[in-house]
Amino acid sequence: MTAEAETSHALRAAAGRSALGLLLVAAPVILMCWLVFWPILSALISSVWLPSGDGHALSLRSYVFFFTDRYSLQNLWITLWTTVVTAVLLLAVCLPIAIYLRFARGALPAYVQSLAIFPMFVPSVILAYAVIRTVGPNGAVDVLLNSVHLPKIHSPYLTPWGPVIGLTWDNIPLTVLILLSGLGGISQPSVDAARDVGARPLAVFWHIILPQIGNSIMVALSFSVLAIFSAFTLPYVLGPAAPEMMGPFMQRTFRSVNDPLAATTQAVIAFAVCILFGLFYVRSVARNRDRAGR
Amino acid sequence: MNRRDFLMLGAAAGGLVLTSRLATAAPNVIDVYYGGDDNIADFWANTVRPGFHKAYPDLDINWVNAADVDGMYAIADRAFAAFKTHTDPQADLFEEFDTNLPKGALEAGLWTDFSKANLTNYPRLNPLGIRNGFGLPYRASQVVIAYDTTKLSPDKAPKTWDALVAWIKANPGQFIYNRPDKGGSGGFFVRRAIHQANGLDPSKFTLDNYSDAYAAESLGKAWAILNDIAPSLYQGGAYTSGNTQSIQLLGQSVVTMVPVWSDQVLQAIDQGVLPSTTGLVQLTDLAICGDFVRMAIPTNAANHDAALKLVDYVLSDEIQTAILTDLGGFPGISWQYFPDDLRKKFADVVPTSMPTFPGGPWEQAVNDGWYRNVAPNIAR
Repeated sequence: MTAEAETSHALRAAAGRSALGLLLVAAPVILMCWLVFWPILSALISSVWLPSGDGHALSLRSYVFFFTDRYSLQNLWITLWTTVVTAVLLLAVCLPIAIYLRFARGALPAYVQSLAIFPMFVPSVILAYAVIRTVGPNGAVDVLLNSVHLPKIHSPYLTPWGPVIGLTWDNIPLTVLILLSGLGGISQPSVDAARDVGARPLAVFWHIILPQIGNSIMVALSFSVLAIFSAFTLPYVLGPAAPEMMGPFMQRTFRSVNDPLAATTQAVIAFAVCILFGLFYVRSVARNRDRAGR
Repeated sequence: MNRRDFLMLGAAAGGLVLTSRLATAAPNVIDVYYGGDDNIADFWANTVRPGFHKAYPDLDINWVNAADVDGMYAIADRAFAAFKTHTDPQADLFEEFDTNLPKGALEAGLWTDFSKANLTNYPRLNPLGIRNGFGLPYRASQVVIAYDTTKLSPDKAPKTWDALVAWIKANPGQFIYNRPDKGGSGGFFVRRAIHQANGLDPSKFTLDNYSDAYAAESLGKAWAILNDIAPSLYQGGAYTSGNTQSIQLLGQSVVTMVPVWSDQVLQAIDQGVLPSTTGLVQLTDLAICGDFVRMAIPTNAANHDAALKLVDYVLSDEIQTAILTDLGGFPGISWQYFPDDLRKKFADVVPTSMPTFPGGPWEQAVNDGWYRNVAPNIAR
């Protein structure tokens, strides 16, 4: 075989491999285009390409209405508020659990882990009713308090805190799992070395652990933020009548107000907010890859 | 045949069976969709279906649960899509549906006009129930006020709107109603406030007299009434997200009084969800609205004629009497067609008049108007 033939053979083999690779990713890519990109594009177009007179024309009137309508803006605001508060609470709850699971030894952490993962297997509508029966009015907490002659709690049911409590609990498993995988990358020797030179637990956490799991925190937050922003069942059942979160608001606008244009506009705006969080995720994944490649 | 061929053949055969099942509705089996409560499902399974099968031995009913109203919308959307492509909607009858939806379907001709379908029982329908010819009112129920008799003795229960408002204000935190679009009990409580604000005259609101200006004027006065009682409601203006949640709060003894559906509350007391000490009262100055449940048939239904036979049967004396005696609901045909003994027996239960409120554009104006004008006013 001449050198030339050898090169062309290698080239053909490489081309075959890349064709196969493309074929393998074709199914998910086509699905993405069909079920994600196309609906987004069609929503975007149908919310700005509006009927006017005989034909259609480019118009932003639906968006102008949303951003000048106090009621709609309040709904967007409460959704952002719920998202931020829930994300902060999630981190505050999940980080200690994850650190405990990473460094504790023995049988107990296994039970703690299964407890932390448990919410993943509970449908949110069941969770919603469970929250009502526990912290709802005259629920389990009130019954316990009453038995020791303490006043009842101010129930979060039908207030903005209802969905916050439900969503936090609902998102614990995914957050704990992602943080745990990030903590798995921390080498025991570096922690031991810091302890040897006399670092207290807080200093170990601040100087050794935190810098190494920043990426995992970003990933965990962007995942849970997307889930919280688009939540429907928990705000629907536990939240106040108004302001509504974007999920129930969109559904009500579409079904009850029978206004597909306004619902589409709300969906595009919700998507635009979510894409910001999505960019954080993509950026931290890309940064991670850079670091790994280096 | 090797294993791979066998698997492929099996998959192909399975797919063929599936597609043939999905593609066409079975002949002479009427696909009835419903999205209501279990008592309705029981009624159809135990009373309507055996009776209908006896009357028409070659026809049968396939009872399909669409879970809820949204499920029914999805089936109607599918029927409308099938209508546009001239295919089989695989749905012959909607047990309860508002034929003003999906948008544009009525104008396009999706729904059957019962007034022109030559049903023998159509002329016997209660005129109160007829909105347009496209929905066939076959049963009805009404919203009443349920209260805890251990906290409020029946002789002190409010029987007029003014007395009710006075009671709510005198007992802050003890009354709640649900969001008007999330369940009829709160929805009709809100509409009762609209009647109150407009001279107690239900005839002022019809399907055809809607205009934005009229709605703004007539509904605005009702928002003032509802905002006036809002600070005295549970949590200073909270609203439950459905009929069941209101009953739950009454059952947990959190509030003393809630508006409820008549048939739903009787069932809840029967099942022990609400204690037997639950009292019921209807306002006497003008009753709270009730509504008729209207059936609908897509014009492109594969078993269209059979579905018409079925709805005519449902309007027969046999089923209409059973609705009254077995279901605890109100019949769809006029009161005069019932025998004297039944009329006497249910005289106190069945009102001679049932105020109704039109749907269509009013539905959106009332529900969205409430969200924008009443719901945000919360004293927290």
